[in-house]
Amino acid sequence: MEYWFGSIDGTGVCRPADGGAPELLARVRSLVTDMRVFHPLTEELIEGCGIFSDRREYIRQLREVTILHAREVIADAAQEKDAELLQMVRMLDQMDEVINLLTERLVEWYQVTDPSFSSKSRKGAGRRILPRITKSRSPPLRGVAREIEELGEARKRLATEVSRRAGSVIPNMSELVGGLVAARIMARAGGLTPLSRMPGSSVQVLGAEAALFSHIRQGSPSPKHGLIFQHRRVHNAPREVRGQVARILAGKLAIAARIDFYRGSLDPDFIADAQERIDAASGGAQ
Amino acid sequence: MIRIDGNLVSPGPGGVYNERMAQGYRVWDPYRSKLSALSMLDPTIDLTADMRVLYLGAANGTTVSHVADYVDVVYAVEFAPRPLRDLLAVSEKRKNIVPIAGDATRPDRYAPFVEMVDLLYQDVAQPDQAGILIKHIPFLKAGGTAILMLKTRSVDIRQTPEAVFAETITRLTDSGLRVVTSCWLEPYHHDHAAIVCGVDPAGMS
Repeated sequence: MEYWFGSIDGTGVCRPADGGAPELLARVRSLVTDMRVFHPLTEELIEGCGIFSDRREYIRQLREVTILHAREVIADAAQEKDAELLQMVRMLDQMDEVINLLTERLVEWYQVTDPSFSSKSRKGAGRRILPRITKSRSPPLRGVAREIEELGEARKRLATEVSRRAGSVIPNMSELVGGLVAARIMARAGGLTPLSRMPGSSVQVLGAEAALFSHIRQGSPSPKHGLIFQHRRVHNAPREVRGQVARILAGKLAIAARIDFYRGSLDPDFIADAQERIDAASGGAQ
Repeated sequence: MIRIDGNLVSPGPGGVYNERMAQGYRVWDPYRSKLSALSMLDPTIDLTADMRVLYLGAANGTTVSHVADYVDVVYAVEFAPRPLRDLLAVSEKRKNIVPIAGDATRPDRYAPFVEMVDLLYQDVAQPDQAGILIKHIPFLKAGGTAILMLKTRSVDIRQTPEAVFAETITRLTDSGLRVVTSCWLEPYHHDHAAIVCGVDPAGMS
């Protein structure tokens, strides 16, 4: 039977493995354990080996190996190139939320200081109100408005950077739907690894979870598209074919995600083929 | 386990997660920790100084740190890299925690690290929670205890928590475990059940 510090055979003869923690870890990683016949370590087995002076020493050395292992797992996860992109997308979406929230509150405030102003007359124009508020007579109001504008600039720069990075991390997906949408889809899936294991039908409704679960539970109509709707060929497609376009695009995106995950380079043949198929479905909608 | 004014506490250096202290002990909040909730509802649950514990779903190591205050050693298994960082930080102060980066659905990957234990404790957000517990029966000493914190919402949100609970009990019994007690963790945690199982010395292969 193989254990982390060496092997113990049926008669209780113990063979310690050579090396320090890194060597022991590499050895454990190469082991194949069959749980049907495996006997976990017991105190008697460990003591019988006589490798460790006492229990404290045993735990100390074991911890050295498992902590090294955990550190490697953490480092590997952080190094995956989609890890930072994922955080950037989430930050971007959160910034949108925060900017909208702050703008809403600011407009409420501004309305009190300017009785002639009505937000109704300038429908949904939170952004366009901002420059006007920065000229308000109230210094604190102006200050906050300027900060929100500043935040908007930071958001714009972040969005540019997200699309740029998506182009190198997920080149095929970015080519199909643009970097921003591609990155959002990846972020919603939880990273490139889970996305690459997703069927196209799941990709199609990523971001429409509420509608999907209400469909499963209550039999309401199934969602045709989730985040994918943000892509122009889906939202510009005529209503009748929109679901079809979403389905075909999602299928191609699922393939693109796999190419991005396993190969990581742009595949022009695949892209040309996929674009043609998607355009045919959307009737050349722009 | 130690109680002060009806609050469960554990002995050990504080400051792991801003927990409250009471007379030098760390207050173990039943609203945050399911094991604490279970011990509030069922006072027979005990952790003793000679226990070896296999803890599946260690997460950030908050509950693990309390368990470690009581027992001999905790083998703490966690899969996700992010909570693993916190778990490592907790293990630094508590030398009787053996943090293991591993997937609880694949015990064969970390089996060489783990010894036979007196208590198997599982709190994972996975669909097949009964299956995971069953896979770990080989690590349980004869006469040992297994505690499953069943997150019914992770198993199947289309089924009622009661149905998931009943089905889980059946599966555990079919695998040779003996259900000692089980209860819902109300009012501390919703849609969570605790199932305490024993292994019969004779029934084990």
